Amino acid sequence: MSTHGQPVLEVTDLTVGYRRPDGRTNEVVWKTSLELHPGTITGLAGESGCGKSTTALATIGYRSPGSQILGGTSVLDGTDLLTLSTPELRSLWGSRIAYVAQSATTALNPAIPVGRQLAQPLGVHLGLKGDELHKRQVELLDAMGLPEPEAALSRYPFQFSGGQQQRVAIAIALSCRPRVLLLDEPTTGLDVTTQARISALLQELVKETGVATLYVSHDLALLGGMADRLAVMYAGEIVEESTAAAVTKTPRHPYTQALIAAVPSIKRPRAVAGIAGRPPTHVVLDRCSFAERCSYRQPACTSEPIQLRELDGGHRVRCIRAEEIAAATRETTALPIPEIKDPTPLLEVAEVWCEYGSRRDGARAVVKGVSFDVRPGETVGIVGESGSGKSTLLRAIAGLHSPVDGAIRLRGNELARTAVQRPRQLRRELQLVFQNPDSSLNPRHTVQDIVARPIRLFREDVTRSKEKDAVGDLLESVKLPRSLAVRYPAELSGGQKQRIAIARAFAAQPTLLLCDEVTSALDVSVQATILELIADLALCFETAVVFVSHDLAVVRTVATRALVMKDGEVCEQADIEQLFSAPAHPYTRELLSAIPESIAAA
Amino acid sequence: MSSTLADVDVLEPEPLRPIEDDDEARPASAWRTIIGNVEGQIGLVLGAIMLGIILFGRFFTPYSPTELGVGPQTVGPSTEHLLGTDNLGRDVFSRFLTGGDTILIVPLVAVTLAFLFGGSLGMLGAYARGRIDAVISRTFDLLLTLPPLLLVLVIIAGLGTSTIVLVVTVALVFVPRVGRVLRGATQAIVTNDYVAAAQARGERTASILGREVLPNIAAPAIADFALRITYAIIFVATLNFLGLGAQPPDPDWGLMVADSRNFLSVQPWATLAPAAGIAALSISFNLIADALTRHLTRETSKGVVPV
Repeated sequence: MSTHGQPVLEVTDLTVGYRRPDGRTNEVVWKTSLELHPGTITGLAGESGCGKSTTALATIGYRSPGSQILGGTSVLDGTDLLTLSTPELRSLWGSRIAYVAQSATTALNPAIPVGRQLAQPLGVHLGLKGDELHKRQVELLDAMGLPEPEAALSRYPFQFSGGQQQRVAIAIALSCRPRVLLLDEPTTGLDVTTQARISALLQELVKETGVATLYVSHDLALLGGMADRLAVMYAGEIVEESTAAAVTKTPRHPYTQALIAAVPSIKRPRAVAGIAGRPPTHVVLDRCSFAERCSYRQPACTSEPIQLRELDGGHRVRCIRAEEIAAATRETTALPIPEIKDPTPLLEVAEVWCEYGSRRDGARAVVKGVSFDVRPGETVGIVGESGSGKSTLLRAIAGLHSPVDGAIRLRGNELARTAVQRPRQLRRELQLVFQNPDSSLNPRHTVQDIVARPIRLFREDVTRSKEKDAVGDLLESVKLPRSLAVRYPAELSGGQKQRIAIARAFAAQPTLLLCDEVTSALDVSVQATILELIADLALCFETAVVFVSHDLAVVRTVATRALVMKDGEVCEQADIEQLFSAPAHPYTRELLSAIPESIAAA
Repeated sequence: MSSTLADVDVLEPEPLRPIEDDDEARPASAWRTIIGNVEGQIGLVLGAIMLGIILFGRFFTPYSPTELGVGPQTVGPSTEHLLGTDNLGRDVFSRFLTGGDTILIVPLVAVTLAFLFGGSLGMLGAYARGRIDAVISRTFDLLLTLPPLLLVLVIIAGLGTSTIVLVVTVALVFVPRVGRVLRGATQAIVTNDYVAAAQARGERTASILGREVLPNIAAPAIADFALRITYAIIFVATLNFLGLGAQPPDPDWGLMVADSRNFLSVQPWATLAPAAGIAALSISFNLIADALTRHLTRETSKGVVPV
């Protein structure tokens, strides 16, 4: 690896495994080497389950429950962290090594004011007391850009927004001037504008304090813009490692290339490229671990172990065809653009107001007079940050939240406020797909039960004896094997579960599909295939789609028209091309500028 | 866009891998967990013995359980009277063999009734929220403020003693307790989107509670059921001891303890045998419940039984 000077933390041949109930060990990280240099950010990317978080935690000697460090060294200032006892590690953690977890909401103790949580490391590791302590606390919060740092000390975590909570967590991590900082998806789950601000803050702090940083994230676009060096992990091994720019601009490993192509981009309208299959759950040593999902596969890929080798400019890659791949570009599929045959609106939303809380206790309006139309077969995106009211609006259309004012009409028929009051025919025409399939599929029902339910309720043409065939056909149309019908949701992967949820929605043969953040709980490689599936099915069944998402690039990919919502109001409503090429509202422009776009447009 | 590799053989998308039958992923059956640990095994064996005694003991009585003076009064065990006799000269062993049925049947029926009524109301409250929930919950609270024994005393004073009155009053004592447990369990489930999905399909409340909610709260419900049974056994024994349940001269374990306790120093067996019977029955239920709870909480991450 070619970086200036001595590394702060040098990890060599780190191997981690989990003990299985039968006594054998399941290796999940294999001989991974990394170097962290002062003032630089090293990114670690990959799909979930590729061992990136396990690797990051193991480098500082932390063993997650059930895991064992089987080999390797991790040297900080001449000491191998992996040989230290827990008390010795404890004196280093929080002082010379700091960690920021994904969710500040769970990382901060809700019952303790942030000042006291910040005082803990300062007191334990630096022995600060009294005025000195107070001065440092205020200084830290101020450096994190929190307003009124003095007053903030006595507040509780819930009195801060998600972004501010993460700032407090970062302040705690940096309080003792650590030499090594671990960031585990610190901005995942935050709004795009907040994410951009936290990322900028982190970059600035790393440069300023000279802390050697390891940044774990699934988001290649984000890491490409933030990190100095970037390593991509697959099945517990590093498959590619180089400067962040080199990895994201000229990926040499088919996996990196596929991951980058899978990220929806506002620069590649309507292009998707998912990665079929799933990563292995343990390390694969006798062959290329990515071979079975790789479109560049040759016999040699599966007949021998593949070594990490160095190309020009210190670009390390674990692929025997890396030189050829550098010149190739991964094919993407262009989503079909639905044709609008009939301009009469299918769905009309007129001046809809939604509130939470009762009138007596002070209601809070979350949707304030929203109006829009959806024509048959078209896909309308609704973009907004959390709290914009976009999901409530969708729930109101679905009859799950009663609006206090306004009208919702489907093919001219006024829809009752709650789903039960609507006639069966109209209920059939409106189907909903939820964000998280873990929550939207009943864990005690089989796939057959789940998909057959709407058929029994809405499809008079399908008799009881034909139900099983109908479910099988639906499973095939969402590209799942018929044999999955007997499974329970817990036995399926996240992507498979979301396909089941989509099959359930299409079982009723809807004219309008409501999608609520349907891909935000999924890996980026799966997201692309789900977007493609929804677009294909919508075209095939001539179904109109209302697609709610916080991710502008996703909306850019699937929608033909979009609404931008903020604080319950529609800021802008335009055709998708116009919205992205000539945004009229300042808020739309702010959203667009916050998107990390380090990945080159193909 | 640069060229794709000329010699790349584009492969068909990989077929989905068959799901491996992973033993870790599939939870062991409840039955296997119970017989798989020592507590469960002891519970089952003890339970089987007690069930045998209660159901079939009556066919093996050496004397009539109610006949007076079959032997001398208040004497210890002998070959003729295995557990001795009580103060009225009745055979304690024969009475022990026949005296367990109220203590088994009344709790079973009463707790089942409590689950049917209290459970449904609790689930309905958690699902419907708002005013319906307020009415149901406050009714539960009101019932909970009444001391159970006082409640039973008042009802029995008004309606007299009979098995039906006993069952209904015991059920009434357990309704709010069961209701609150199932209300809590349901609250954790109704926030799931599969419940919202059912609402959007326009399903009726009964269907949503039965199809979507019930299978997901079965775990805490079953564990709670087993625990309530043990409480109910003690409670019914207490009522019989106080003379509010079974009436003399019926052989009944609770009543036997009450009648014989004055002679404890002279003939301890007349008190200890029925007391041991009550204890053994509730211990066996408790052990099974413990094993079951452990199994179910291991299986489901949320909805832990709030006992």
